[in-house]
Amino acid sequence: MSDAENALDVVELRAGYDAYDVLQGISIHVGPGERVGLFGPNGHGKTTLLNAISKIIPQRRGEVRFLGEPLGGLSAKQIVERGLIHVAQANHLFPDMEILETLELAAYTRRAHSQRAKNLDYVLKLFPRLAERRRQQCKTLSGGERQMLSIGVGLMCAPRMLMLDEPTLGLSPKLKDELAAAIDEISSQRMPLLLVEQDITFVLSLVDRMYLVDHGEIIREIDRRSGVDHDEIMDMYFGGHEAR
Amino acid sequence: MTADTLSAILVSGIVLGSVYALMASGLSLVWSTLGIFNFAHGVLMTLGAYVAWTVSDAAGLGLWIGAGVAVGIAAVIGVGILMERLVVRPFYDNRDILLITVMTTLAVMIFLEKGIQLVWGARLKQLTPIAPGQVDFLGTTISAQEMLIIVVAPILMVALGAFLRWSRIGRGIRAVGQNANAARLIGIGVSQLFVVTFALSAALAALTGILLGSVRLLTPTFGAEPLVKALIIVIFGGLGSLGGTVAASYLIGILEAALIFVIGIYWAPSMIFVLLIVVLLFRPQGLFGKVVR
Repeated sequence: MSDAENALDVVELRAGYDAYDVLQGISIHVGPGERVGLFGPNGHGKTTLLNAISKIIPQRRGEVRFLGEPLGGLSAKQIVERGLIHVAQANHLFPDMEILETLELAAYTRRAHSQRAKNLDYVLKLFPRLAERRRQQCKTLSGGERQMLSIGVGLMCAPRMLMLDEPTLGLSPKLKDELAAAIDEISSQRMPLLLVEQDITFVLSLVDRMYLVDHGEIIREIDRRSGVDHDEIMDMYFGGHEAR
Repeated sequence: MTADTLSAILVSGIVLGSVYALMASGLSLVWSTLGIFNFAHGVLMTLGAYVAWTVSDAAGLGLWIGAGVAVGIAAVIGVGILMERLVVRPFYDNRDILLITVMTTLAVMIFLEKGIQLVWGARLKQLTPIAPGQVDFLGTTISAQEMLIIVVAPILMVALGAFLRWSRIGRGIRAVGQNANAARLIGIGVSQLFVVTFALSAALAALTGILLGSVRLLTPTFGAEPLVKALIIVIFGGLGSLGGTVAASYLIGILEAALIFVIGIYWAPSMIFVLLIVVLLFRPQGLFGKVVR
């Protein structure tokens, strides 16, 4: 497979905050239509990686390519226009806006706007709960509803690839299952997916391949088909101790 | 107190309220979008009036007042955009942006006030009214220009509200104010909308100055008193709420008119500050503000 065919290529990327590089030259790729997981403990650079890819923070060194095109000179806005959509972690969105208004607003770029009706229809079918609450303000939503809205907002941006940052953070098992089903449905259309998660069962149920991140570096790449199990991954991180 | 007096107080209050609404809405818009107070908002109002005077007055270019309105607003929009670029934008990533921009916008205020004095001199000027003559309103005779202010202000406030509520750019501006990073992630050009917000606010200030410039006399500090009132109103109405700001504008306007009648023009302004303090003691979030932002 040549690089140009990949949805996303991150090559030796360095980024961070203030004087400190959280990412110490990280490299990952997401193939066409591939679902890739990013797993690792808190504070080890997963969110920083997504922030750097979507230019919420600057890329200091290295290169990021989306569908073969380098993102180096582009702004956050231009990256969204190209269809690389980052659904941020615990995103409180726009507290005083209503659900429907937020979804309509999210189709902000020209390309997304032209697909607005179709995508809105899709989102409201995927998350009927959002349709029921369409006049409710974002700040009144529960954690699960807010997560659904965040993903819905991502879909309204007309994504060609989605990066989801801990979509199940703090949710009940039942809600996690609901979200897993929705994410599965979204990516079944061969939408490339980069999924950041701390719930290993959740990642493994959704991805084809997974990176283990530790201190801003990839320490291992796992193909799900090769059958690495849960305990083995936990051992790698926690040296055989009980992982919470 | 006769009905005539009541009517006179009410009408004069509505005129004041309309002026305050035009001023305070721009200030409030910048606050809720960028999280800063623009202390040069008053001098932008002054500048708009002076530019309009130069274009339309016989002592200047002597053109039609409509040209004065257009050039005045356009010039102030230009200054507003330049201001955003020079004294606000460099500090967007600074966590002390609120305090820093208090200083930088105050500096712009002083600079422009002195500049206006240098260019136009200290001599009093007055704009030609857009609407000449007098009209009768609620049993009180006022100038047609004041009537124009009473009519224009609510129309513009409704238009501004509709723009923010339903238009793509307007919604974008609200989104940026509520969560700039979430706005970036859906492809909103945050810094572009900051510029749009500044331009819109500057246009409102210029228009206020031009409308008021034929009712009051123009001096380089013409905008100082309206700025202070607008600041009080934005806080009083509940920071960041356009509806609250507009409601507070009319409330303060009418109250001020009543206070002027009861205790005179000398103490009325300070009484309004006393009132503000009392309100903030009991409702720190302002009259119409929400408890948590």
